[in-house]
Parts: sequence; structure tokens; C-alpha cells
Amino acid sequence: MSIISQITRDEWRFWKRTKIATTALIIGTLLALISAVVNTIEMEHATHEREHLQHTSESRFLEQPDRHPHRMVHYGHYVFRAPSPLSIIEPGVDAFTGTSIFLEGHRQNSAMFSEQRQASGMTRFSSLTPSFLLQVLVPLFIILIGYASITREKQAGTLNIMITQGVNLSHLLFGKYLALLCSGFLMLLPLVISAIWATTNGESVLLTSSFVAGYVLYILIWSGLVLAVSAMSKKSSASFAILVGMWIVFCILIPRIGSSSAAALAPSLGKLEADFAVLEELRKLGDGHNAADAAFEQLKKNLLAKYEVEKIEDLPINFRGSVAQYSEKKLTSVLNQFAEKRMEEELSQAQIARQFGWLTPTTAIRSFSMMIAGTSLETHHRFLREAENLRFEFVQSLNKIHQDTLDYQADINRHNDDKAARVNASNWQVLSEFSFKPDASTVRLASSTPYLIQLVLWGVIVIFGLRFAVRRIS
Amino acid sequence: MQKEIIVASSLCVRFNNQTVLDDVSFKVHEGEVFALLGGNGAGKSTTLKTFLGTVLPVSGNASILDMSVTDEIDSIRRKVAYLPESVTLYGHLSGIENIEYFLSLAQITCSTKAIEEALKRVALQENAWHRAMSNYSKGMRQKVAIALALLRNAPVLFLDEPTSGLDPNAIDEFNQLIATLAAEGTTVFMVTHDVYGACQIAHRIGLLDNGKIVGMFERGESSHIDTESVHSAFSARNKR
Amino acid sequence: MKFFSNITREARFLFKQKYLVGILTAVFALSLFSVWSGLSEMQTQSSTIERLKEKDRVDRENVLAKQSGYGSAAYYAFHLTYSEPSNLAFAAIGQRDVFPWKHRIRMLAIEGQIYETDADNPELSFLGRFDFAFLVSVLLPLFVILLLHDLRSSEREAGRYDLLITTAVKQKYLWLTRAFVLSASLALVLLVPFVIGAVISNASFVGTSLIVLVVFAHIVFWTLLIVWYTSNKMALKQNSTQVASALLSVWLMVSVLIPATTDVAIDKMVTSPNGGDILLVQREAVNDAWDLPDSVTWDAFLATHPQWKNYTDMGLTFEWKWYYAFQQVGDQKASELSEKYRQATLEKDTLASRLALLSPPMLTQRLMSSLAETDTQAAMQYEQNIRAYHNSLRHFYYPLMFTRAEFSLDKMSELPDFSQFSKK
Repeated sequence: MSIISQITRDEWRFWKRTKIATTALIIGTLLALISAVVNTIEMEHATHEREHLQHTSESRFLEQPDRHPHRMVHYGHYVFRAPSPLSIIEPGVDAFTGTSIFLEGHRQNSAMFSEQRQASGMTRFSSLTPSFLLQVLVPLFIILIGYASITREKQAGTLNIMITQGVNLSHLLFGKYLALLCSGFLMLLPLVISAIWATTNGESVLLTSSFVAGYVLYILIWSGLVLAVSAMSKKSSASFAILVGMWIVFCILIPRIGSSSAAALAPSLGKLEADFAVLEELRKLGDGHNAADAAFEQLKKNLLAKYEVEKIEDLPINFRGSVAQYSEKKLTSVLNQFAEKRMEEELSQAQIARQFGWLTPTTAIRSFSMMIAGTSLETHHRFLREAENLRFEFVQSLNKIHQDTLDYQADINRHNDDKAARVNASNWQVLSEFSFKPDASTVRLASSTPYLIQLVLWGVIVIFGLRFAVRRIS
Repeated sequence: MQKEIIVASSLCVRFNNQTVLDDVSFKVHEGEVFALLGGNGAGKSTTLKTFLGTVLPVSGNASILDMSVTDEIDSIRRKVAYLPESVTLYGHLSGIENIEYFLSLAQITCSTKAIEEALKRVALQENAWHRAMSNYSKGMRQKVAIALALLRNAPVLFLDEPTSGLDPNAIDEFNQLIATLAAEGTTVFMVTHDVYGACQIAHRIGLLDNGKIVGMFERGESSHIDTESVHSAFSARNKR
Repeated sequence: MKFFSNITREARFLFKQKYLVGILTAVFALSLFSVWSGLSEMQTQSSTIERLKEKDRVDRENVLAKQSGYGSAAYYAFHLTYSEPSNLAFAAIGQRDVFPWKHRIRMLAIEGQIYETDADNPELSFLGRFDFAFLVSVLLPLFVILLLHDLRSSEREAGRYDLLITTAVKQKYLWLTRAFVLSASLALVLLVPFVIGAVISNASFVGTSLIVLVVFAHIVFWTLLIVWYTSNKMALKQNSTQVASALLSVWLMVSVLIPATTDVAIDKMVTSPNGGDILLVQREAVNDAWDLPDSVTWDAFLATHPQWKNYTDMGLTFEWKWYYAFQQVGDQKASELSEKYRQATLEKDTLASRLALLSPPMLTQRLMSSLAETDTQAAMQYEQNIRAYHNSLRHFYYPLMFTRAEFSLDKMSELPDFSQFSKK
């Protein structure tokens, strides 16, 4: 045991006396720290802003004067997606999806005004988010610190001296591994602090700790890779070149190749094209504004039979309201059907890209990190679904008010006597509060499991690599 | 009096405020084999590098064939062949390919036949000519480098510890070759810490210590320089 | 003569090194992949647009056939707008995955429609695409560093340095020639797939040459930087990995840190209205109109369209012309915000183009997507095209609605066509 700690301490002393390792360590830690602070501030700001906007939007709706209920259907409502606590570390798709949706009758709008659309376009490759730093840059720093850990002993001949003195190679490697891990964990420290911050902001401890655990595993993997390559190389320069090459391939190339392949392999029709099919379906349903549309003949017959009356005018309810309710329901089911299909397409594209986690630990940690943080595509889809539920609920409530509260005659005559065709503003209370919560921790843990498996597999590969390296030296 | 080919006059070289060469002066004549002898850190390599133009003197002058290293290094390099201490040519190329490449760097065109003759002259076994140099022994690599120097037809030859790491047979062969070259008129300048080897081959030996020339030995008409006297001077210096 | 013999000598020498050939082959494969995926993406986009055009035409004909008035025709008929990928778009997808390139609009208030996006899969956009521009702007410097950093230091470490420089007639030329051969072959393996792609997609000679020029410029920049750095006194004492580390930190600086910090700075420098506010203003204006006296709408409408002041009489029932008038008024109310929003986007882009001078990789990327017409400018131009087209729809319908013209399908064949607006 003392040999291992001796080796670890010697490695630290070596770093202290050489410039590259210390510089890399200091820069890496500082960057991680700065980005954690900046991102925390920005996300806190975004959270407050979106909560505030959500609040404003709700009170505006409630403050609307007496009106025809269908006017409120078109007046609509805004919902905002509040970022999850862990998005201070992993913003995920947040910047690329709109974070607000306008909800109105007869339509499913897409999320609008994504941040990227208003950004300078400078951050298409890099960003100062802690996740980018940890996933992409920290491996590079680990390489800069550790590429020579074994090769320098080989080149100086000290490795042979150690072996002839009876030092166990596994102990040697383990000592070096510990030293390298410490530097990796130092760069991870800002993330741990942010994670604790997220915990105080209401994230479950189980989630934040598994989040940190995922990144710890990632550091373990890269440190192991660096050590294995260093142990298998003859010269420091060769080890360096191989590791930098691996970094380019793993951290930059494969994730992007994954994304490009997904787009090429599973092309998605896009919302616009799907909308043609939607419109075609919808036209069959008839226009809910026009109660005389032939599509509502059956509804009319049913209602007349139910209330045992001859004419629409004699119905105890407002037929126009019934039609609005009826057509909104039909229309929504068609819209949902297409929306689900579209989300499925998007998800299957994302799934293809995520399979590249078997080829690089970077994609694996990225998927894992997004899943745990609740900033994945799935979360965005759930936001869309929850927004849609809210939309359907308030639109139908308004339609019901239209049907039950507004007099049919007054409704028919609305163009002449606008005032009579209104209902009391107190009815607008039907709008329920919207507050988007991240998935429950069990759900997020479960959905992150496949990517954890990818990471674990990488861990196993690294262990085998190290064992192979030990055998090759001896 | 024979022509003076290599001249050092009051050479001073400093690294990081430390004097490495202090007022070094000597002359080497045409067809002469001159050995600069000294212990570790005496300044031998620095002297050599000054003549190769990779180290600049702070004062004094080094010149070859009346050209100063500070002003006309490019012209000098055309006249000079250099044999580094441990010869590592390109491992992925064969001996012949290495020679061809380096000759073309020097803008010399040579027939394959001439190269083969040179390799025969340095006695490199023929089955190695077309093998990649990465599995040559040290002696074989040195032979290729000498062949290269021969082919360059340079009137001046610089050698850096030429016999270190060679087996006795190879040393004999090497000394023979140098002697022949000198007889043909090539001026040879070598630096070494091997007293015995230097005495075997050199016409004159300059003893360098702590950046200064502290002794000069010359061989007689038919005898080698006396090893004993050089050795005692050398070890006296080193003990102090 | 001497120059060429130097080059052929070094080329023959360098290409005997297997790892160099390996790196160059890998770069060639990457370039091939990026060009292929770009071509396939643009092929998909073009054929999507073609398909949409046809579907759009059929759909509109069906809809119009059922209409009996211009008001309802304008309400129900959608119009496709699109931004065709340029012939060079395959090389730089640029902002095309963030900004929309296809859009269907109606004659309702444009501000309520124009921000709808049919954007790409956000997770794929987040991961980023592997297009030729990415290869050239971000990865190319890494390749140049990988190939050239140990130009001298590897010779020094192998103990050949002194022999080389004493043998070479002019040592400077030796390093320059080696650097040249390596960079030139890098350029070659990068550009061959691109040029093939350009030929396949029928790109203009000038555009293609300009992109080639940009690629050359970027390679030359990094080559000169490395040649300069490796020949300075400090680097002469460093070993290969120290040199590479120093160069990597330069890369990190210009392709990660500078872009990320300028992004934050630009965000702070330009104040942009909240996009949501535009919609909110527009929505309030349009919805309030139902409750307000007609005259309020008409006053605001006539302020910009005085020619219809004698046509604002209202019938007993719902009037389409009034409906579209308050849609127009909604746009007018939101137009100031919307213009500010647009200006902010453009201003950010202008600032970014200036600050990109600090970062050669960003500059390269911007130049390439500018040449490929996939940059923010092009996206904003498309947005303006949509607005112009929407305006032309209004010009088409207003006279028909205000003069209560008899509905005729023949007249509808004169509807403006977006293709006239799709070019700048």
C-alpha cells in the first residue's frame, strides 16, 4: 500500500515541477469553476424570468373582461418550461428548443424563440457550459497531464530500475492512476458544488449523486485510457499523438458523426409536411366555427333525439357550443396522433445518435447527463404533451361554458348585439396553473440506465486495457 | 606550410551568462586529422557546434576555408560533412534510400553505382543495403553515415565521438578509413574523450578543459602521439 | 526547377512514412463523409421543397374550389414559402438547422405566424452536424498541428537535427518544403471530396473557388503559425509534446474560449426584445379588436391604407374586410417590436462577424456559411421574403374584398406566387 501512495506522491511532485501538467490543471479547474458560476447565474435568471412570465400570462388571462367564450379560446395562453435544477450543469437541448408555447383553440403550435435562434451563432461548436467542459475539454486536460506518466519512466530508464527493485507493476499503475484521478476530480469539484446547489434547489439527492457518479465514472474512464495508452507506448511523443488522436475521434468526431448519421438514416418529414396530412384529416372533421357544416349533422340528430326536441333553437343547450366541443375533441385527437408520430420520429433519430455511445464514452456521458438532468429530448416532448393537455382542458372548459352558459339566440345574433353574446369574466378561472416539473427521480434514473450501461462497458474496456498494458510491460 | 582549413581564433561562447568557451584558438591544416580531447563538459561539443553554425560565438571567430561561420554558414555547409555521435538516420528508409535522401538535400546527384561503391568502401554488408535502417546495429548505421560523408566529397569532415560504442574491429576499420581519407587530402576534425583512440588516429591533439585549450600534442614523423603523456596531462586536469 | 525538385524529394520522403499516409487517408475519409452527409441533407431538403410545392398547390386548389368568397378563401388557403438550399449549402449547413427554411402562411397577421418554426430535431442540433465547414473550421487546425508540430523537434529528438541542417543546402527551405508538402497534401485530401461534391450539386465556379480559397487561407494561417512558432527560440528548446501542447492551447483559445466568451459578450451588448412579447402585443391587438368599436380598427387601418377610406361601411353580419383590417392593425402594432427583434438579431450577427476576426476558425465557418448562403443573413433575408410575399397577398386580396368583387376562381389563378419572392 505504501508503495502506491509513494508513487502517487512522486507523480504529484513531478507535476509540480513541470509546467504543462500544472498549467493544464489550473486552467481546467478555473474554467470549470467559471463556467459553473456563470451558468448557475444564467439559469437562475432564466428560471425566475420564466416563472415570472408564466405568472404574468396566467393573470392576464384571468383579467380579461366579459367576453364571448370562443373569443377566449382564440385569445389563448402561454406556457413556459421552467429549467430543471440540474440544468445549471447540463442545459441539454434547452437552448435549441423553444421554451415557450402559445396555446390556442384548434391548433397545436410549436415551441418558439429558441435561444440559439437569437444567439450570435458563435457557440455552435463550443460553449462555456460545465457539461461541455467536463465532457469535451476535461479529457484533453487529463491527456495533457497524464500522457507521459508511464512513458517518462520508460524513457528515463527508471521503469526498469523499479521493476528490478521488485516493484509490482500493478501497484505502479495504480499509484499513477490515483494521481491522475485526483487531478480529474479537482476539475470535477465545481460540478460537485453545483450539484449540491441543485440539491438545495429541490433536486433529489439520489439524482444529484448519481449525476456526479456518472461524471466520476467518465473521469475514471478517461484517466484509465490515458494511463493504458501511456503504458503501452514506447515514447512520450507517441503516447501523446495517440491520445490526442483518440480525443479528436471520441470527443469531437463520433458524436457529430452520430448526429449526421441519424439525420441521414432516419430522415424526418418535418412538421410542415405532416401538417398537410393533418389538414386533410381536419377538413373531413368540418370547421367547428360553422355549426351548419354537414360534418355535424350526426351530432345534431343525436342531440335533438336526446333532448326530444325538433329544432336546434329548442335545445336547452347552445348547439354552437356543442359543435365547438365536439369538433375540438375530434381535431385534437387527430393533432395528437400526428404530434405523437412526429415525436416518435424525433426520438428514433435521437436514439440512433445515442447508440454511438457504444463507440465513444463522450456520447454515453452526454446522454446520461441529459437524462439525469432532465434536459433531454424526452423531457421536451413531455413539456409539449403537458402543454397540450392544458390547452385541451381550458379550450374544452371554455367550449362547455359556451354550450351551457351562453344563450343560443344571443350567440346567433352576436354580430348585431355584441354585448349580449358574452359570459361573465369569472368563468376564465377554468384555466389551471401550469408548472412544468422535471420527471420523478425514478423515471429519470430508469431512462438513464442504458447510457449508464454504455459507460460501465467503457469502464470494463479500460480495466481490460490496463491489465493488458501490465502484461505487455512485464 | 600547408593551407589552414579550420581556424578558431579567440572563440568565446556563453550560455546563460556561463562561459563555455574561453578564448579558444587553434588551426587545422589540409589533410590533417585533429582531435579535440576533453572530459565531460569541457566544451568539445560546443566547439564542434560552433563550426557547424548551430551555436554562435559571442566574440572571436571560427572559420572554415576562409569563410566565417557567422556570415557564410550556408556556403560552409556545402564543404563540410558531419558525422554525429549516435547516428540515427531515418528508420523507415533503407541505407541506400537514406543516402539518396541526404545527398539530394545537399543537392548532390549520385548514381546508384557510386553509392554502392561507397557502401563497399565502408564495408557495410551487402544484404543490409536495402533493409530498413530501423534494424541496423550501431556500427552499421555509422558506416552508412560515413558512406554519406564520402559521397558528399566534402573537403572537411567533422566527427563527434566517432568510435564510442563500436567494437574493436569496427574501430580498426574506421581508423583505417580516416587515415586513408586524410592521406587523400580531407581535413578531419574530431572531438572525443577517448585518449587512446585519439592518439591512434590524430596528427595533433588539442586538450580542452573548462573551455580553454590547455595543451597541444603533435605526432612525430612515423610514430603515434605518446598515449602516456597525453593521458597524464588529461587525468591531471580532471583530478584538479 | 530547384523548388520542384525539393518538393518531389520531400513528398517522396514523407509519404514513405506510414502514419502520415494514415492520417491523410483518415482526413480524406472524413471529408468524404462530411460532403456525402451534406449532399444527402441538401438533397432531402430540395426534394422536400419540391414535394411540398406540389402538395401545397393541390391543397390550395382543393380549398379554393370550396370557397364562395375572397374572405374565406384568404382564411383557408395556405401558401408555401421556402428557402431553397444554395448549390454550396452541402458544404456548410450553417444556421439552416436552427432557422426555418420552409413555412406556410395565410393572410392572417404575419407576426403571429412568422416565428413558428419547423426546426430540426433539437437533440441533433445540440449534438451538432458534421459538415464540411465544421471539418475545415474546427478540425483542420488540429490536423495541421498533428502533422506539423514536430517538424523540427522530432528530428532533434531522433538526433538527426544537426546532421540534417549541416547537410541541407539551406535549412530554412528544408522545413518550409516539408511544411508545404504536408499542408498541401492535407488541402488536397480535404478539397477533392468537396470539389466532387460541388460538381455533383452544380455549384458555381466562383463560389466553389471562393470556398477553396477560404480553406487554403485557413490552412496557410495555421501552417505559418506553426512554422513560425517552431522556429522561435523558445520552441527550439521544447520537445514535441511541449510544442504540441502550446499549439493545442492556441487552438483551444481561438476555437473554444474566444467564441464562447464573445457569445456571452454579444448577448450583453445587444439588448433584444423578448420574442414572446411580439406575439403578446400582436395577440392583444387582434383579440381586443373584437371588443372595440369598429372605428378604432378602421382609423388605425386607414392611417396606412388611406385608399380604402370610402369602403369601410359595415354590413349587418360579420365582415371579412374588417377581420383582415384588424389583423393588419395587429401587425402594425407589433411591427416596432418585431423590427427591433430583427435588428437585434442582425446586430448580433454583425458584431459576431467583427469579433470572428479574433478567431480564425469562427471566421472560416462564417465565411463558408456566408458563401453557402446558410448564415443568419440568409435566414433573415428569407424572413423578409416571407414578409414581402405576405404583403403581396394583402395587395391582391384587399381590392377584391373592399370592392366586394364577385368571387371567381379564375381571378384566384392570379394569386401571387412565392417563387417571384424567393430570390433576393
